[in-house]
Amino acid sequence: MATQVSTPVKSHTGLFSTRTAGGRMPLTPSPRTRTAAMVNNNNNNNNSSPFTPERKTLDNERVATKSVYGGNLSSHFQKSTSRTSHRDSPKSNIAKGVQTPRRALELGVSDFALTGTGGKTPSSKSSRKGPIRQKSTKTTVSYGDRFIPNRAASSAIATVGCGKLELGDKSRPNSSTGESSAVLSSAADDALAALGSLSLNDDDEPSTYSRPSPNTVAYQDSLASACGVSLNQRILAFKPAPPESSKPVDLRSQYNRPIKNANAASAQFRRRVATAPERVLDAPGLVDDYYLNLLDWSSGNQVAIGLERNVYVWSAESGTVSSLLETSPDTYVSSVKWSGDGAYVSVGLGTGEVQIWDVEEGTKLRSMTGHDTRVGVMGWNKHTLSTGARSGLVFNHDVRIAQHKTAELVSHTSEVCGLEWRADGAQLATGGNDNLVSIWDARSLAVPKFTKTNHKAAVKALSWCPWQPNVLATGGGSYDRHIHFWNTTTGARVNSIDTGSQVTSLRWSPHYREIVSTSGFPDNSISIWSYPTLVRNVEIPAHETRVLHSCLSPDGQMLATAAADESLKFWKVFEKKAGSASSAAASGSSAKADMVKQMTIR
Amino acid sequence: MSTAPAGKEKSKTHKLSLKGSSRLVAEFFNYSINTILFQRGVYPAEDFAAVKKYGLTMLVSSDDQVKAYIKKIMSQLDKWMVGGKISKLVVVITSKDTGEPVERWQFDVQIFAKPSKKKSSSKVPDKENSTPANEAAPVEKTEAEIQAEIQSIFRQITASVTFLPQLDGDCTFNVLVYADADSEVPVDWGDSEAKDIVNGEKVQLRSFSTANHKVDTLVSYRVG
Repeated sequence: MATQVSTPVKSHTGLFSTRTAGGRMPLTPSPRTRTAAMVNNNNNNNNSSPFTPERKTLDNERVATKSVYGGNLSSHFQKSTSRTSHRDSPKSNIAKGVQTPRRALELGVSDFALTGTGGKTPSSKSSRKGPIRQKSTKTTVSYGDRFIPNRAASSAIATVGCGKLELGDKSRPNSSTGESSAVLSSAADDALAALGSLSLNDDDEPSTYSRPSPNTVAYQDSLASACGVSLNQRILAFKPAPPESSKPVDLRSQYNRPIKNANAASAQFRRRVATAPERVLDAPGLVDDYYLNLLDWSSGNQVAIGLERNVYVWSAESGTVSSLLETSPDTYVSSVKWSGDGAYVSVGLGTGEVQIWDVEEGTKLRSMTGHDTRVGVMGWNKHTLSTGARSGLVFNHDVRIAQHKTAELVSHTSEVCGLEWRADGAQLATGGNDNLVSIWDARSLAVPKFTKTNHKAAVKALSWCPWQPNVLATGGGSYDRHIHFWNTTTGARVNSIDTGSQVTSLRWSPHYREIVSTSGFPDNSISIWSYPTLVRNVEIPAHETRVLHSCLSPDGQMLATAAADESLKFWKVFEKKAGSASSAAASGSSAKADMVKQMTIR
Repeated sequence: MSTAPAGKEKSKTHKLSLKGSSRLVAEFFNYSINTILFQRGVYPAEDFAAVKKYGLTMLVSSDDQVKAYIKKIMSQLDKWMVGGKISKLVVVITSKDTGEPVERWQFDVQIFAKPSKKKSSSKVPDKENSTPANEAAPVEKTEAEIQAEIQSIFRQITASVTFLPQLDGDCTFNVLVYADADSEVPVDWGDSEAKDIVNGEKVQLRSFSTANHKVDTLVSYRVG
């Protein structure tokens, strides 16, 4: 645009173009551009603030225009257009037509017809302020436009604006070049005078702007009433600080169920365990001795129990009881153990003698001596019978040969009360009253592979994990109360449980990832633990006195426990699920009948 | 014979006096404050004791300090209520960390039988005269109905924990009262801002009304 306007020759086109430009950015009286324009002007003129339209600069400008007009018109155009490029294009156009600077002022009035039209387009653009400006008087038009936005921005609607606008009008001449300021014409004097008179207004204005308090107060009032805040009401607060909370509150814990531990979390998936015994048998004369092992269940589904000097065999299938043997009066039965095939039972005696009986025939097959002290624990591995004695010695006997003693396992220094072969016969675990757990490699029995000293009491309970052959569970006595789990390949302890009471026996479930422990004082209970989570699934208060012995049925569902209260109880702790269970249930209520069915299924 | 049932009827629907109604409202405030403190976890749950009230099990603070604090508030509230000076009771739960209100329980009190335009307690006798004129406003309710209304408010307050946002960090509470400008203000009470929740969500809960009062419940809480 500037280039177009630059030459007077092109005035027509220039005029035209500027007109059209009137709709464009430069002319739009939108506050933004206005201010921008003003800033430009002010920058030109001594950087005075936009709010105080100093007369001086105005004068200068005024003068400048005039002088320019008086001087080289074309050069002025160039300058003015180039410098103040946008703002006064219409003016300049008109000015172009009218030569005398003097008339420029008057023309200013007449201009308005023109600028007014130009101003309309902006007004539509500039929203609410537009109408006001248009109303404010025609005289003010273009310059007024420029001023208002600032005021509006600085304070409220300020009807004062009208008067101001006029002032603005005058004070706001075609700002132009500083160079021309030097030339003063008579017109400048007029302008000065006019400005002087206006200046009074000016003084007023700032004051009204500077203290908008009455306005705002009124605003607040009206706002308050609009918001419905009643002034004849007070909001009172109880001043004293409320007492401190005694401890931080977490609502989450208050409303949500406590985050379930693994135990609770599995509650809905946890299987139901019958907590009532399936069957109770009397076991009169059962010796209340932790170190003995007087109960065993054969693979042939027969339960052998040593009651003082007698060994009885209870057939789970028929429910019949037979007395297998009675020892000489000078001794007693200290341990019983079925051979793997369920055909023979070995009986350890208080004298240290070990007898092997054929249950079917009811006859003693042989008697093996060697121990000087009572044999409290025995274990079969095929044809090898291991016997642990009070002396702490463990002997291996090959029951087939005359010179039966095949190995002497020396490790324990006190009575051996726990002894368990691994199912594959590769390892043997023994536990003793010396609080030791010894793990033996069947191929080299000279020294134990590992000797574990973690227990703080006698170790009677030993059990090999059926699904993870290198895991051994061991349970300690009253002072220890712990179950430890061992990796028998590395010798590492992999887990521990503090059971809270003497552990008298441990049995892994062959079907579930669970292990059952029996307790002595103070609980006298049966506990079922999940492995490896070590969560106690259920605790059954099983007996009135400590549970001394336990053994699992050959199908792995039933646990038999013998306690010092001279009773033998059968618990269906590892009942199989669904199909097999229903068939078992259909078979009848007696443990015996169950057994038959399950055994046949098996 | 006929008088007996009438008497019974009367006793059943007996209209609470303004004083009784004020007591009832004040008592409602007391339980409201306690319930809010419990439900919103301002104080730990073990500091509260269960009490049977409104046919519900209400939890009331058993902490001596908190009890004393609420008692002080309530004693003044009682006076104001009887004087008909109060238009709002507000329980503001404030975050201890930021000091900003996070939750605002507002109980609007409307008094049907305003003693007089002058609102001065000395005009109590006048009120007796004026009440008959005003009796159009409240529908007479049995005590059981009022109880049921209050009960449902407490049920709502209790249930509101399901939609109210989790209060983070330690919180404390303040009690505000919108009182008439001419009410007597004890030293413990002072002018305060409204402690509104900026850009808060508002949920209007149920109301209850007696012959003389209507109480609206509104909870506003900060979102996000």
